[in-house]
Formats: sequence, structure tokens, C-alpha cells
Amino acid sequence: MAKTSDQSKKGAHGHEGEHQHPPAPMVDEVSDFEVLEMAVRELAIEKGLFTAEDHRRWTEYVHSLGPLPAARLVAKAWLDPELKKLAVKDGVKASLKVGVDWINSPPTNFGTPSDYCNLRILEDTPTLKHVVVCTLCSCYPRPILGQSPEWYRTPAYRRRLVRWPRQVLSEFGLQLPPEVEIRVADSNQKTRYMVLPVRPAGTEGWTEEQLAEIVTRDCMIGVAVPKPGVTSNVKMPVHRAVHPIEHHS
Amino acid sequence: MSKAHHDRTHHAKKATGIGDPQCFKGEGGKPKFKAGDTVRIRDMADFFYTRCQTYTRGAVGTVTLAVYESPAAEDEAWDNTDKPEWFYSVKFRQKDLWPDYPSAFPNDTVETEFSERWLEKA
Repeated sequence: MAKTSDQSKKGAHGHEGEHQHPPAPMVDEVSDFEVLEMAVRELAIEKGLFTAEDHRRWTEYVHSLGPLPAARLVAKAWLDPELKKLAVKDGVKASLKVGVDWINSPPTNFGTPSDYCNLRILEDTPTLKHVVVCTLCSCYPRPILGQSPEWYRTPAYRRRLVRWPRQVLSEFGLQLPPEVEIRVADSNQKTRYMVLPVRPAGTEGWTEEQLAEIVTRDCMIGVAVPKPGVTSNVKMPVHRAVHPIEHHS
Repeated sequence: MSKAHHDRTHHAKKATGIGDPQCFKGEGGKPKFKAGDTVRIRDMADFFYTRCQTYTRGAVGTVTLAVYESPAAEDEAWDNTDKPEWFYSVKFRQKDLWPDYPSAFPNDTVETEFSERWLEKA
């Protein structure tokens, strides 16, 4: 960063003939942890524990896991009281209904591929709102929710949510009346948590597909509540391009 | 001198096709606590590794669920899986954890898990 601003200062003083707009680097720095990950990964590949191809396949699998299976599970549970009961009692078994197999999850088929296998689905009610954090690291129900958002792993979120949950939630735009109990679930051991929010008003008669659309990732972490037309099935305003690209077929 | 053989993948082999913590089912003995019990979190010494948060130590809460059996994190960190124990989900009132938690929100709670060694009857 310092280098970039030095260069722009030079540019501002108008040193003629010098290149005034050096291309800024896309990434300013590589963190120690990224260096460590690369080193361990390369050693593991050299040692033959897994191949580079295995690693690529696993990374692709993890990164392409969207929150969709979990959203569908919530939608199904809203529509089917029996499934809701199962979800609350045995989240791992209920996950199978949306094609997520915690135990034999591909592509490793290796027992605990990415995480521990005890999923608890926390059911919200009109007077109880759950919100999930891992104060010790960043435990997250990856098999069903995909990769955790960056903010979920930050010390600011992890330290503050257990201590000042209402303030943190209001920073996410969620303010709840005092009669609603806010229950912070701190996933410090082998359980992974996912929130089953209350089905919002205005969704009467909706299909599973319509319902799944409004159950966003943040609703299942607990920092937001699903709202028709506000969470993901909202029509975004489209800004027309000033110079639209001509498509020639 | 021959080197003692230690299989570093024994844990993964045990969990394959069953899941972790499911693979320790039945190894924790009789659970000492049940849902509804009032418990105090013990403030024990921990060396190098623990998953018992400082903010819960000494606090009194209510067991909501005996969740699963597993070696305690403090043992498992050193690959010691010999003595699995019961794990409990415990719910605390926020004001029991943080004395200055705003009294406007007396219903707010935190729920988190402990292995049996960290709990005592309160």
C-alpha cells in the first residue's frame, strides 16, 4: 500500500515522462496463513498424501457448495411439519432429504471430510431468535451451508456476538423487541448449528422453490430474517449500460 | 532401536462411514447430568489446549441436552481417544455471564457445549 501511495504522490507532483499510473497490484499481500497452507499443501503432495488433482477437486467441491441445499431444507420444513420435527431432532438425517450426506460426503468418502458430523438445527419461534457464532475459531456447517462468509471468521464478530448480541445484530440491520429472547449458539465443540427461521407472513400458498429463494445464507446463520421481496427474490433495479455492447450472432 | 508404530489415521479410519462424534457412541458410560439440571462450569487448569471458553468459567447454567459422546477436546488435541465422555449443551442467561448486560433484555441467553469433566452440580 505504502508503495502505491508513494507512486501516486510522484504522479501528482507531475514528474514528466514517468509512468504516472502504475497498475495497482490485484492483491496487496499474502497472509502468513496462506503461505503456511501452500507450504503444507505442497509438502503433502510431495509426500504423496494426496495429489494436486485431488486438492483441486476438493477445493472446487467446497467452493461450489452454495447455501441452496440448506435453503431448500428450510423451505421443505416450513411446508412439512413431520420433516420439521425430524430436522430439529436429527439434522444429519434431515439433510439427506436435500441430498447432503454429512457422513459419506464426496469427494473424499473419508469419514469427516471437512467438519464434524453433528448438525443441530435451531428452530426459531416468534419469541426466540437463534444466532450462530464460533468464538474459538470459525466452525461452520460447511457440508450444508458452503464456505463461511469472511465476516463470520473475523475476531470482531466472534468476540462481540456473545457479549453484545443486540448491538451486533442491529449492525446487520436486525432489531428485535426485548420480549424476543436472543439465543447465541456458540459452536465450541463438535456440534454445528444452522438456524431454522420463522416462516414470514406474506408467503401463504408459496411453493418450495419460492420459499427457498428468500432463505438466504445470513438467515440461516441468524443475522437476518427472511422477508418476501427483501431477501434474495427481490427484483434489483437494472442500470442500463451507457454504451451497450452489441451482440452479433 | 525400533520405532514404536503409531497409526496417524486411526481416528479417520474409525469415523469413516459413521461420522465423528457418532463413532464414539456408547463409549462415554452413564451420563452424569440430564436436561434441566443446574450446573456450574468448573474453572480447571488447562495446558496448551482447551475448548472451554473463559467467559463460561464459574458460571451457572441449565443443561438443555446430553448431546453426544466423544473424547474431550483437551485429550483429543493430543490424539488421546481412550476415554470418551458425555457432552452437554448448556444454556446461560446473559446476565449470569456478563453482570453489566443490559437489564432491558433479561431473556437473552447463550447456549454452548461442555464435556462432562467441566461440569459440577450447582
